[in-house]
Amino acid sequence: MHFITGGAFNGKRAWVNKNYQEAEWISAYKGELLLENPAILQSSKIVLEGVELWTKELSAKMTINQAREYLKKVIEDWLEWESLSSDRKIIVIGTDIMKGIVPVEKENRNWRDLTGWFYQDLSLRCERVDLIWYGINRTLKGSGL
Amino acid sequence: METASITFITGGVRSGKSSFAERVALNKAMEIGGALHYIATSESFDGEMKERIALHRKDRNESGSSWKTWEQATNIGSVAFQFHENDVLLLDCLTTLLSNELFAHELDKSKPLLHKEEVFHHIWTGIKMLANNCNHLVLVSNEVLSDPIPQNEQMMSYCQLLGNLHKQITSIAKQAYVVEAGIPLLMKEG
Repeated sequence: MHFITGGAFNGKRAWVNKNYQEAEWISAYKGELLLENPAILQSSKIVLEGVELWTKELSAKMTINQAREYLKKVIEDWLEWESLSSDRKIIVIGTDIMKGIVPVEKENRNWRDLTGWFYQDLSLRCERVDLIWYGINRTLKGSGL
Repeated sequence: METASITFITGGVRSGKSSFAERVALNKAMEIGGALHYIATSESFDGEMKERIALHRKDRNESGSSWKTWEQATNIGSVAFQFHENDVLLLDCLTTLLSNELFAHELDKSKPLLHKEEVFHHIWTGIKMLANNCNHLVLVSNEVLSDPIPQNEQMMSYCQLLGNLHKQITSIAKQAYVVEAGIPLLMKEG
């Protein structure tokens, strides 16, 4: 599993497109839902884009802790699917939304907190993590694609 | 893509990006025996801004080097012909320049209302003109895109244009840095 993060409009999608040309995309920006079971797809490479919208939705539905545990379980399911074949890979793109002023509204604070936790949990379980900064990648963890 | 003699520097508020940018420009000027120019994009409307600008100017000149300051809130390309191959330019900063250009019409209705593509092209052309008319151009900008994008059209355009400008600049810049707590991290060298 490969996690790609960075600020908005920094070129994350272009970088992933260039490095994973054959992948199938599931995009929260197009209204697609959180992929709980990758086995429903045919492809061996799956890109999950805009995961910060899924954390937004979850943070409105349950407590931060419940949502974090739920997402941890989802991460393990993704890893299990990957482990069944050596050519399988999940690429997760999450926009960094955590470096602004603390939001006044509780729902936005929850969203931001959950997103930060989720990214930490993802980084821990991913074999590779890249930060994209205006088109330039900086590998934060692991190597090889 | 061809690289231009540009050093791109970003960072958060009070990260030390401006001081680092000044050192980069100063070293370059000393290396080539060139002259230093500072292109300020902030308009000094209010007292606090005036004070900050004066302080920055005083700091630069007390550093033992002499800077010529150009106040250019918009249309940076229009001063490009003032410079030549022995000059080192420091432009601080792109975020202000972009808001001055993008919201010009709103502040002054006599200014034309431009599409975002036109604003992008205008700024990009200005940067290229400056880079082509000097020895080295140091561009300073801010890190503001790691926060949820405000859901109104103007701010979305602003963020998108800023990201696009930064990507375009890093693609041709010789060096690119992000400054964290006074420490510059080299992101591109080439």
